Amino acid sequence: MKIKNGFICRQVGGNNVVVATGAQSKIFNGVIKLNESGLVLWNKLLVGAEKNELVDALLSEYDVDRTVVEADVDKFLKELRDAGAIEE
Amino acid sequence: MFKIKIAGINVLVHNKYKFSEYLCRDYLTDESHTDFSVCADEKEILLEIQETNAPINAEYAESVCIHRAIAEHLAEYDAFLLHSAFIECEGVGVAFAAKSGVGKSTHISIWQRVFGDKVRVINGDKPIVRLINGEFYGYGTPWLGKENIGKNGCCKLKALCFLNRGEKNAISTVSAETAAMMLFSQIYLPSIGENAAKTLELVDKFSSSVSFFKLYCNMQDEAAKVSHNAIIKGE
Repeated sequence: MKIKNGFICRQVGGNNVVVATGAQSKIFNGVIKLNESGLVLWNKLLVGAEKNELVDALLSEYDVDRTVVEADVDKFLKELRDAGAIEE
Repeated sequence: MFKIKIAGINVLVHNKYKFSEYLCRDYLTDESHTDFSVCADEKEILLEIQETNAPINAEYAESVCIHRAIAEHLAEYDAFLLHSAFIECEGVGVAFAAKSGVGKSTHISIWQRVFGDKVRVINGDKPIVRLINGEFYGYGTPWLGKENIGKNGCCKLKALCFLNRGEKNAISTVSAETAAMMLFSQIYLPSIGENAAKTLELVDKFSSSVSFFKLYCNMQDEAAKVSHNAIIKGE
């Protein structure tokens, strides 16, 4: 899966924010704020990644339990899917 | 067809209804140079009528469409639309932002009542903010909001104050990080991808250049005194 064309991430006032542009902005007109790990996942998804790759990416940076990371990745993907930002 | 100069940008407007030209009467220019042109087609006007919660006519709908078409291009000129009431007081430009119905117009009318001629209302609803030589300026536009207050002019924008209703008057500063997130509901984000990205970059600069405040206020004179003390006097 990867990030759909039209979704962009920029740093605004020290926050990493995601917004939709073009045709996508008619569907999603909100703002998603990414934390540090969210940004790691976002950058992986820009080029395309599966869930296990996302989990591995976080595990290589943070010393946490795999089940905890999996739950976090699921939560993150749900937020992006709800916004229509993911191409499966 | 008519040409207006807003925020120093020359816009050629292809209109169908006279109301749009009437609305823009204080902004007409006879300069030959055009930065960009806009128009609203019949389909867009119909859609605007359908999607507005209040009953509006085609003349008014066209003016809204023209406004939006202009907002789409502003980023190309380092500018964006900031939903706020913009005033100048003692040489300082202050924008008041709030959700519709909170009382931006009421608050600036209290400023006028308390500080009289020292206060100039540049735009009561939709000023344009433009970055010029590293500094942000607020500009008047023909779109004045339902209270219809504002005058063609501009002023350096020094502060932005988010308004909330409160029983007592209290003001505090807001960090750039928090303010940036609060700004999203007050700016027009162009749908053209490049211009949206440019707008985000502008808002990023804006959040580090301007002072932000959060005011809880009632409708008494003290409300304006409290915000004036903090924003203009810096006390």
